[in-house]
Amino acid sequence: MDEILVLLFAAVALIGALGTYLQRDRFDKLIALGIVYGGIVPFIAARGYLDVLIAVSLIVPITTIIVLPLCRRDTRDA
Amino acid sequence: MTPEFILGCIILIIGVIAAGFPREKTYLSRLINLEIPAFGLLLIMLAYDEMLALLTFIGVTAISTFVLVRAIERREAAE
Amino acid sequence: MIAIYIVAAIAVFAVVRATVEKNTGRKLPYVNVMNFAVAGAVVLLIGHPLALVAAAAYFVGSTLEANAIASTYAGGERRG
Repeated sequence: MDEILVLLFAAVALIGALGTYLQRDRFDKLIALGIVYGGIVPFIAARGYLDVLIAVSLIVPITTIIVLPLCRRDTRDA
Repeated sequence: MTPEFILGCIILIIGVIAAGFPREKTYLSRLINLEIPAFGLLLIMLAYDEMLALLTFIGVTAISTFVLVRAIERREAAE
Repeated sequence: MIAIYIVAAIAVFAVVRATVEKNTGRKLPYVNVMNFAVAGAVVLLIGHPLALVAAAAYFVGSTLEANAIASTYAGGERRG
């Protein structure tokens, strides 16, 4: 993993983190959280921890799905 | 100073600011923002090659999110 | 190996495009593009056979997450 790839995937993770902070809609925040997760996965793969990557890939979506029933509590506007 | 460590510190600082001072002061907004520093801390643990700590931290984060969702549901049902 | 740079550039483009999009429903296809690109980058980064399983696990997990968000956003099944 050379410098160009580090910069590109770090840009993905940073845009996701700033997007999660700045956006107001709850679904937009969850989508941006998925972008953060996509940005850090290549860093785990580049260190060679493939078993950790498999475990993280199965646990992080479950965390999002746990949060989702809170999101549909009140009706969204069209 | 590996790139994982620097990126993890930046994401951790952004996440701490986001969880401490959210733009919309609701429970759900804070709960979603609370997962950003979890990813930053994951990258810092990755930079120090702490594999077992990383797996345990991810599992505990999922369980604590479940507990917090239950607590928020109780709080909103009581109001 | 020019392929992985192209894949990473596609990921960055999709993320920028998904962030500046206003409509929530239109964000999700760009997030799917980023998921494809990251799954491809995981396989291209390391030439280990387990990398295929890891990329498949990431792909399944992220697709499940995006579909759950889309289903809840569209109304989904009402509970209670």
